[in-house]
Amino acid sequence: MDNNSTFNSSSNSTNGTSDGFQFNAAPKPFWTNLLLPIIYLTILIGSLYTFSHVYRQRKITKAARLENWFPPHRQRDIYLSLLHIDPQEASEGGEKKLSKVPDSVLKAALLRRAVEDIQRIVVLRSSKPALQTLLQRGSVGDELWQRFLRAEKEMEEEVKDVVNEANAFSPNWGQTIFQSANEINQNRLIKERIAELQSQIESEKAWWDKKRAGISSDFMKELEEESTASKAVEAAIAASKKNGSSDDDTVIVESGGQTSAQGAAKKNKAKK
Amino acid sequence: MDAIDTYTQLPLSIDPATKAISTSDPSLTPEIDELNKMNRAFLALDTPNQIPPPPAPVNPKRSVQITKLKDSGNASYKKGQYGDALKMYDLAIRMASDRPTWEASGLVREELSTLYGNRAQTLMAQQAWAEAAVDAETAVEMKKVGNVKAWWRRGQCLREMGRLEEAAEWVKIGLEFERAGPDKGSVGELETLARELGKALDKS
Repeated sequence: MDNNSTFNSSSNSTNGTSDGFQFNAAPKPFWTNLLLPIIYLTILIGSLYTFSHVYRQRKITKAARLENWFPPHRQRDIYLSLLHIDPQEASEGGEKKLSKVPDSVLKAALLRRAVEDIQRIVVLRSSKPALQTLLQRGSVGDELWQRFLRAEKEMEEEVKDVVNEANAFSPNWGQTIFQSANEINQNRLIKERIAELQSQIESEKAWWDKKRAGISSDFMKELEEESTASKAVEAAIAASKKNGSSDDDTVIVESGGQTSAQGAAKKNKAKK
Repeated sequence: MDAIDTYTQLPLSIDPATKAISTSDPSLTPEIDELNKMNRAFLALDTPNQIPPPPAPVNPKRSVQITKLKDSGNASYKKGQYGDALKMYDLAIRMASDRPTWEASGLVREELSTLYGNRAQTLMAQQAWAEAAVDAETAVEMKKVGNVKAWWRRGQCLREMGRLEEAAEWVKIGLEFERAGPDKGSVGELETLARELGKALDKS
């Protein structure tokens, strides 16, 4: 009975479950089968997207935190400040107020900005090959390279911006503004170099005056020594003629000093 | 790339009468001075739209004046009036350095090289070796190749001042430059000077 009942119940339950399964599966066999892969895909894509989003965000914030290659662009700031300035407020204390910042000032500021850009471009171009070599050898980190690339990109934008602004002032100025800026830069270098060289004049002149004074006094001394020496020699000759003895010679010669001693000795030898 | 879209507003102000910009930030003062200088140069322009012309063809007026000053300097030198010649060269040098800064730098180099070279020659005639040496060095600095005379002048000045080793070194560098340059034919006097210096060094 017990056995029976258990058998029954078990058979019932199996029946029940099998029944239930069939009952559940029957109305939606297709959608339930699709639900699982859809959930799987959603989770997968969602997590991938979140990951890439977070990763990119981090990268951008990291790049933004990287130090700029160049110090702040003062000329650009001045130009843009002048563009945005309110001239009536800015013109201080005059009886007539300016209605706008004069164009010539803005153009001058733009050209100054172009000059600074040229200087920066020169720096970037000259440091690129060296930096590449260093990067290949692993002497510098990737961060430095990232900073460099960012500076390069910013410079490109900056140049485009300046050309646009220049064309806005006068058609086709954009084509020549950087040529002019380049010449300004070159001329500045020339003048700096000349000033550096010409500033040596004073010290060179002082050095030469001193040296010349030294030379002439040396020369005078030599002349004097020569004359005293020759006098001593004459005296020695005279004495030797008078006395005819070499003992007296030496006495006189010693009093004549070192140079005259040699000279006198030679003379004596020649005489003997 | 937020640096592209933003800028720092600087404390600037304009004088309404002179249109000169001034600032309350002392670290900006040199830059503002440059700006005002350039503004004045812009106002003096007579080109359409008052923008600087391209560097290539320069205004010939100034070049003519510089050449004139140089020629009269040369004439005075030939007559032996070294003081006058110096004055002329000084004026010409000042004129050449005062060119608008956007004009071709190659031309400025050329002119200044000749003028400093001539001034060095005049100073040498007055036996002012120190000044002449500096002027000749400046001339060489402006134009290293095809400038045999200037190389020779500094070498000679250094020799006169008794700086033989320095002179020999200088002439050697000069020969290296000039032998590769367009003036290959005229390196003769530089070579002579090099030989003389070599002999003098051997002796001492």
